[in-house]
Amino acid sequence: MEKFKITFFPDNKTIEVEKGKTILSAAISAGIHINSSCGGDGVCGRCKIILKKGQLVSLPTGRITAEEKKKGYHLSCLAVPQSDLEVEIPKESRLDSETIAKEDGYLLRLKGVYSESEDVAQGESILGEEIFIHSPLATKLYLDLPKPNLEDKISDLERIYRAVRSYQAIPVLQTGIANIRRLGELLRSSDWKVTVMLGKRNGTTEIVLIEPGDTSSENYGFAFDIGTTTICGQLIDVNSKKILGTKAAYNKQASFGSDVISRIIFAQEADGLEKLHHAVIDEMNIMIQELARENNIDLNDVTCCLCAGNTTMIHLLLRVDPTYIRREPYVPTANFVPVIRAAEAGIRMNPRGLLGCVPGISSYVGGDLTAGALACGMDKTDKLSMLIDIGTNGEIVLGNKDWLISCAASAGPCFEGSGVSCGVRASKGAIQRIKINPKTFEVEYATILDAAAKGICGSGYIDAIAELRRTGIIDRSGKINPGLRHPRLRQGEYGKEFVIAFKEKVGTSSDIIINEVDIENLKRAKGAIYAACSTLVRHMQLDFDELEQIFIAGGFGTYLDMPNAIFIGLLPDLAREKFVFVGNSSLVGARQILLSHEAIIDAENIARKITYFELSVEPQYMDEYVAALFFPHTDLNKFPSVQ
Amino acid sequence: MAIELVKEKWSNAVATVVIGATKEEGGSRATVVKCAGEEGLPFLFAEGKIPNRPVIAMEIFDLEPDDWPESLKQAIGSEIKSPVDWALKCEKEFKADLICLRLSGAHPDAQNRPVDELAKTVKDVLRATGIPLIVLGCGEDKRDNEVLPQCSQAAKGERILIGEAAQENYKTLTASVLADGHSIIAQSPIDINIAKQLNILISDMALPLERIVINPTVGALGYGLEYAYSIMERARLAALCGDKMLAMPFICFVGLEAWRAKEAKALTEEFPAWGSQIERGIIWEALTATTFLQAGADILVMRHPKSAEIARRHIDELMVV
Repeated sequence: MEKFKITFFPDNKTIEVEKGKTILSAAISAGIHINSSCGGDGVCGRCKIILKKGQLVSLPTGRITAEEKKKGYHLSCLAVPQSDLEVEIPKESRLDSETIAKEDGYLLRLKGVYSESEDVAQGESILGEEIFIHSPLATKLYLDLPKPNLEDKISDLERIYRAVRSYQAIPVLQTGIANIRRLGELLRSSDWKVTVMLGKRNGTTEIVLIEPGDTSSENYGFAFDIGTTTICGQLIDVNSKKILGTKAAYNKQASFGSDVISRIIFAQEADGLEKLHHAVIDEMNIMIQELARENNIDLNDVTCCLCAGNTTMIHLLLRVDPTYIRREPYVPTANFVPVIRAAEAGIRMNPRGLLGCVPGISSYVGGDLTAGALACGMDKTDKLSMLIDIGTNGEIVLGNKDWLISCAASAGPCFEGSGVSCGVRASKGAIQRIKINPKTFEVEYATILDAAAKGICGSGYIDAIAELRRTGIIDRSGKINPGLRHPRLRQGEYGKEFVIAFKEKVGTSSDIIINEVDIENLKRAKGAIYAACSTLVRHMQLDFDELEQIFIAGGFGTYLDMPNAIFIGLLPDLAREKFVFVGNSSLVGARQILLSHEAIIDAENIARKITYFELSVEPQYMDEYVAALFFPHTDLNKFPSVQ
Repeated sequence: MAIELVKEKWSNAVATVVIGATKEEGGSRATVVKCAGEEGLPFLFAEGKIPNRPVIAMEIFDLEPDDWPESLKQAIGSEIKSPVDWALKCEKEFKADLICLRLSGAHPDAQNRPVDELAKTVKDVLRATGIPLIVLGCGEDKRDNEVLPQCSQAAKGERILIGEAAQENYKTLTASVLADGHSIIAQSPIDINIAKQLNILISDMALPLERIVINPTVGALGYGLEYAYSIMERARLAALCGDKMLAMPFICFVGLEAWRAKEAKALTEEFPAWGSQIERGIIWEALTATTFLQAGADILVMRHPKSAEIARRHIDELMVV
């Protein structure tokens, strides 16, 4: 196939592309950013470039003024090279129009707030991945079309339809006008050998993109779990269903407010919504870029993206005003968001690639929980099950295949390693297991991937509290015993603290410690989650003993010590074998939906089926919460094994 | 036909706390007070034994209080200037069951009195009187942690009731009380869970449950009385249903709360329509007291001798089976 070289200025980067690809696609392959928000439909007019040298064909557009035309302006999404080219990307196409938001972003990056995302360890998923048939959100199909002749002279588009239908029975097929406009030239220049990308969009199938040549073996997608505190992204080979890499980063929106409510309030300020939107999109784009680069994947071959997140996060991702989530009667703008073009949300991948969001349940229980319930198969089991997703917002689902009810309680970010003095995400070097010698108070710990310790992650904190309590270093309210004398115990800047690891030993800039403020935060977090579970169980006139299986989800990495989680009163005191640690179930659910159309139908059913139980109007909740602010609980009878 | 009353069966009794020790017991009290031990709800004699009547402690200060209304000070008389005289008057004239000595002079914002001087006041009051003693700190944690251990030691053997321990500051006092054989007041902010948590924390330090008295924190009539009432009621119901960690006597600082109320303090001239301040204040305190008796109060700490008298007569009437 004929190829052309395109050099972009001012980057001075050159890339080779097949004949028939647009300049926008070429730029994406080269890793050069050109604004685009319509996804290559030629309507937004934000992807202007200036042709400096060479030949191209472009479709007419009203977005280029006569004067611009004279200067050599074209829309990169409509321009197809006919020779080697030199093009310049003007300033207005490089910077998003929301410059304030961007500058803010750069500033944050300079300040170090925008840290690099990092690889996270994902435990082997014990969840049944194979239950759904393989039918991804976006598929690629290589077509070697018979050339038209006088006997076979159906139109170009019908020719494509006919070929597609010979593989799959798809009664309703759609194609956008942008594709049709380019079709005639494209088919002929690529010698009738093209790859079509089929997207499942809201009940119909769309021919999303037609590319020259055979790219069908390269089809990648991203699953995202967009949490209030942590964003987790996963690159998946859509054809083989293989996971190629997983990364996590803190949600940079945190600098505008640590919880959803303060972010909703911030969104109402001038440029607030823009800033929040960019914070999340930036982080996702960084992850997409890094994972694609590490796996040697062309961003043009990233065709689909599936996001699970709480309702506010999804609103902010799509730059939809979240104001009404917070106002009585707490109604979100959309729980079921139709599949859109990823570019419309600002995600940088194939400009015509698709973005799906897992359907949400209510204003305060989002698609992340739907995805979790889906991943755990809660809608398919006879067993009375509970899913506890331990995140900034602790979310609980209770039920079985006949009924499902959920609630959410604000727990704070400390189990995700944020808001605590030495907290880190569950990634390489995070302390995730701790043992304290009851006599000498010496600490044994294990880090993720056995790397040098850099901080403590959620599962490490659970162990730490359990061990501090077991050894009598802290009392049931979480206060450090002032009578004890030991080199590891001392007065710190924020009250009494216990040293888990000394800096000399681990090579960190300061000692890794846990102090009374941390313990208080962790106590509140575990109290909120336990109280939500017990209020929900009581609301259904059930007893914890009646639960047959309990799925524990959260960003705990590969490990969670269930007995310790029970010992500190985070989880109810039940037979250990009833607990199943499922890791990031929301990400698993998002991946299932990305890879199977069947799963999205199930997810929609789950979202419709789940009843939402509002804890904030339940007077009993506050009482349960205060009772749970104790290790393990004020009512010790609830924890018979922890006496 | 006689009506058969429905009787509740309770599975647990409230602990009995003994305050004061006689000579034989290693102290010097003429009388000791046995508190609580109820096997049922207040004054429902048919449902369970009420072995001990609620008692009244009269509150005295080591320094003459500067924020008391004139009428209240006058009711005490000139003895208000000396804690020993004041205590004696409470015992002999006002018929108090106990003395409750508040060491307000320990507060750094008051006179910041030296520790040994305060301990001496405790000793002096003990020497002058024959009824059991309650000692309270000034409410400033750091200072109390200096003062109360010394006072506890000074009263060793006398089995006093000493306070107050709170969730943020209970260890020092518990350790003293444990060492010197006294009992402790555990204060919680009108919250049944925190009340219980504090009791667990204190008992985790090996102090027996029969040496803990709950101060649930109350509000005066018109100032959250109903809320405090319902918290006490819930705690008591839980106790009688078997929750040992809530089965302790209640001490209610009725005088402290009632005399903070504007309705008790405001002068007759300011609000002529409210009637005489002298009577109003007395009634405010008395009504607050009698209400908490119904909620299960075991020790009422009161200020005005007249209010105390009304409360005592009321207890007499209620204790008739």
